[in-house]
Amino acid sequence: MASMMELGSEEDPCASTFSLVDEDHTLANSLRYILNRDPRVEFCGYSIPHPSENRVNIRIQTTGDPAKDVLKDALQDLMVMCQHIRKTFTNAVDQHKVAKRQGEVSMKSGITEPSTE
Amino acid sequence: MDGGMAPPPPEPVSYLCGDCGADNSLKPGDVIQCRECGYRILYKKRTRRIVQYEAR
Amino acid sequence: MAPTSALDMPDMPSGKLPPHLELQRTRVICAADAAAHTESIQYSGAYALSRIDNSLRLREFCDNFRVEVFSLNEDDIEFDMIGIDAAIANAFRRILIAEVPTMAIEKVFVANNTSVIQEEVLAHRLGLVPLKVDPRLFEYKSESDLANEKNTIVLKLDVVCSRQDGRIKNATVKSEQLQWLPNGSEYQIEKTSKTYTSFSCSQETLPALKDNPIASRYPDIILAKLRPGQCIELEAHAVKGMGKTHAKWSPVATARYRMLPEVALLENIRDSLAEELVEKCPVNVFDIEDLSRGRKKAVVARPRDCTLCRECVLGDGWDKRVQIRRVKEHFIFSVESTGALPPDVLFLESVKILEEKCQRLLVELS
Repeated sequence: MASMMELGSEEDPCASTFSLVDEDHTLANSLRYILNRDPRVEFCGYSIPHPSENRVNIRIQTTGDPAKDVLKDALQDLMVMCQHIRKTFTNAVDQHKVAKRQGEVSMKSGITEPSTE
Repeated sequence: MDGGMAPPPPEPVSYLCGDCGADNSLKPGDVIQCRECGYRILYKKRTRRIVQYEAR
Repeated sequence: MAPTSALDMPDMPSGKLPPHLELQRTRVICAADAAAHTESIQYSGAYALSRIDNSLRLREFCDNFRVEVFSLNEDDIEFDMIGIDAAIANAFRRILIAEVPTMAIEKVFVANNTSVIQEEVLAHRLGLVPLKVDPRLFEYKSESDLANEKNTIVLKLDVVCSRQDGRIKNATVKSEQLQWLPNGSEYQIEKTSKTYTSFSCSQETLPALKDNPIASRYPDIILAKLRPGQCIELEAHAVKGMGKTHAKWSPVATARYRMLPEVALLENIRDSLAEELVEKCPVNVFDIEDLSRGRKKAVVARPRDCTLCRECVLGDGWDKRVQIRRVKEHFIFSVESTGALPPDVLFLESVKILEEKCQRLLVELS
């Protein structure tokens, strides 16, 4: 079953509504934020037609580029952001673990400078 | 006119006394009374079948 | 004389916003009655007249984004994410609560229960017991799938309360008495020779499970209470699921975030006013700094501890002296795991899940 439908793009590919099934505010609000910061986007918003139904409508109106391409770019950007966040977070956690271990070692041996390993 | 034989008398079923909790095995037609304390209210035991529940 | 625009005046900082606009862009002002400037400025041309491009540039995002881990324990983590917008921080929080999968008991097969706890109540309690097992080792099971070693975990609870030498044994049934059955179900389906599960091999053969037997994360959760002569005999099947379907599958006790508080002293607060300010704050955000000649000054020592109780801006004229703000793109995340996965792994999983959602949509679009 298709989980996305694009409505209203026959004459004008610059403006269309994307109806996503099995999505909610989690993805829609993040996409809306990224789309709005794109200079090609004239209007972007999302709505949930009925809370009992798991469906989100994202409306995109652009200044010339097809809305589908702009949405694709926004999804790519969000993916790149997630990958960067993962990398940065992993590095930060590893640094914290190393610093904690060094702190414990120097506490146990009673010296205040970090031990050389 | 069903012509079939009556089903064989069922196995003796054990019931629990309401007062002392003793096990009483009764056959159909027995007097309903605890063998140990004479209390006349007996409870049927929980089925030995496996019952399925949803943990929700 | 040619007309000069105000923007071309020599004292105008070029390429940067004037300080009051920068404040509006990056801070939420928490006034005594309500918060101001809560919306993040998303329109790419918002500051076009000041020749500042407000569009999303990934290079800039990657350069400015930082994560700082404040504390990391076995069960919880507190870390700061700086340079990210509320929409995405909220997406991670929502995914952590509802869409990171875990294993939890779903079906309970009761063979015998002579305790006073009703069977459905006991089943409900069993569902809420957190299991210490990595859900990534298992697959989802739908109703039509057979229960096999890849999608089900079988646990047994077999307790009899008895009186021995004057002491009562097993009066309280705790979650440590849930035994893992790595070979599958032991109960036979009525009138057939099959058991409730069809394991083709023992789950102990999986290297990840061999040294980490599956059990409840916390051994002392009380499941039921018994008196002598009462017993409980049941088997519980755990499957993979998400918090979206039922809260028992949520991997976090909770995941939450708050924006970094910032307390600004709008004027110098001296002497008796300084002491009054330090007294007012219930979490000791302010400190006294001693100046020469016995004078005192109030300084903001621990803004991170501020709980936004607004005690420091209540009272006569205090809102002209102290301003409470929140830094917009600085989130202090706090994630407490229920035991299935360590909290840092949980956050990484939630980022992966957001990536997967985008990937799925990209595939649909192409």
